Amino acid sequence: MNLKTMCSRSVMVGIPLLLASLAVSAQTIPPGRMLASQCAQCHGTNGAGPGFDELAGKGARDMYGDLLDMKSRPVETIMDRQARGYTDEQLRLISEYLSAQPGNGGD
Amino acid sequence: MHHFNRRDFLRSAGAIAAFAAIPRAVSAAVTSPRVVVVGGGFGGATVAKYLRMWGGNVQVTLVEPNATHISCILSNLVVTGALSMSRIVLAYDALKTTHGVSIVQGMAQAIDPAGNRLTVQTASGTQILPYDHLVLSPGVDFMPAPGNWNPNLTPHAWQAGPQTTLLKNQLASMRANDTFVMTVPKSPYRCPPGPYERACVVADYLRAKGRTGAKVVLLDANASIQAEPEAFSHAFSVTHAGRIQYVPNATVLSVDSATRSIATSAMNISNAKVLNYIPNQRAGTIAAGLGVNASGFVPVNPLSYGTASFPNIHVIGDSCAVPASDGKAVPKSGHMANSQAKVCADAILRSLSGQTLDTNVATNSACYSPITARTASWLSANFVYGDIYDVNGTVKGKGMHRTDLGEAPTSGVDGDSYVDMFTWADSIFADSFK
Repeated sequence: MNLKTMCSRSVMVGIPLLLASLAVSAQTIPPGRMLASQCAQCHGTNGAGPGFDELAGKGARDMYGDLLDMKSRPVETIMDRQARGYTDEQLRLISEYLSAQPGNGGD
Repeated sequence: MHHFNRRDFLRSAGAIAAFAAIPRAVSAAVTSPRVVVVGGGFGGATVAKYLRMWGGNVQVTLVEPNATHISCILSNLVVTGALSMSRIVLAYDALKTTHGVSIVQGMAQAIDPAGNRLTVQTASGTQILPYDHLVLSPGVDFMPAPGNWNPNLTPHAWQAGPQTTLLKNQLASMRANDTFVMTVPKSPYRCPPGPYERACVVADYLRAKGRTGAKVVLLDANASIQAEPEAFSHAFSVTHAGRIQYVPNATVLSVDSATRSIATSAMNISNAKVLNYIPNQRAGTIAAGLGVNASGFVPVNPLSYGTASFPNIHVIGDSCAVPASDGKAVPKSGHMANSQAKVCADAILRSLSGQTLDTNVATNSACYSPITARTASWLSANFVYGDIYDVNGTVKGKGMHRTDLGEAPTSGVDGDSYVDMFTWADSIFADSFK
């Protein structure tokens, strides 16, 4: 998608909301937030459980390394499949976002 | 002097249109934008929660006719009695108290897209809800079967609740040599592995109860198993050999609920002990009114789930049709509805604050399917925004391209996966409703 279409698309989506838009501050959305939210169905909201391994607050470098390993090794577990669905850059963004979230001290 | 560029022009032209269209009730919402969500299943609950969690002062109202949601996820285990109904009842309390979502118990009746208002019928009368964005997540509607179909006699149990209890009681009444007949709807339908999973757990129940000679006949409107083909083929031919008869290409010609009889292009069965007719499906009525594709679902923008005619009216979950590569459709499931809800929430909040939509978008579905009362399989599918392809591999546009699909290897259909199924279910229950 080129820049022109993106601009006109965003403006069109915003049309009914120009008045209301004053209310939602144009805060910087952390990169990786929406991608990482796709992990929450199995690891809990913001990776903080309940669910499988707690990801919130874990080291980004280790998490990224684990995901790259899952992506390349033979498929055994469901995460070996899920990791294959993302680009390396997406996995890095996900790891960085989740590592910055407060966890509950779970495994 | 400031040059009036294309973007400024679009902005001012849009502003004029918006001023003209916004009724008084909405212009009062200057300090706090309003989002109304229709449908309190996995899609609707998740979009309401994430809009509040990510959106600061956005007012979110969830419209749902029932006091609680009863999950289709795990509901086949309620049919067999392995779980109680209370295990799959999900309340809206946390959405209200933890996240500040307003709940209106009622049925969405009509959308006024020009006036940005939704009419809702509640027990105490009609309410008009003004919105800046409207999100529709009404799930599926059922296409009436040809013939004399009555779902109160022959339950589909494809919406959990009283239908689940009815099917459970009918299964419990089965004796030796009785037949449980069920159908797989024509794709696309809610939960692709669901019918095959149900056939498996019903067959396992009949075995465990010693119902000698009793069996499941699975009449599939499709040409082949629609999800986890390896796990279910193995289950039908080995694990449940002699207790499941799988019949593909069985287009339903007529149903007679009173006599529990069904005629299909492949086979006719009269006077089955149980007829679990699962109908073909289409978008929920309130969403279908926006316009549907040939399959009966509402086309949406994969970056916002907005509709072509009304970018501030979004459709997520089972009702929507996401542009995808040929043969690699986005499945309809609670997990996928939750996934799409987050993309939709992010897009609405970016629109409200005048930001461009994020194009680095991914969605996924993952689930566990019980094969017996102790073992389960799993399924995983990923989609990433970008080019999508036709059958010849030629780019046909932008959409959600399936980047990975797979099921548990044979060694993974086991007791560990059965335990993992509950970890997954409790996690998605909490991510959507708590």
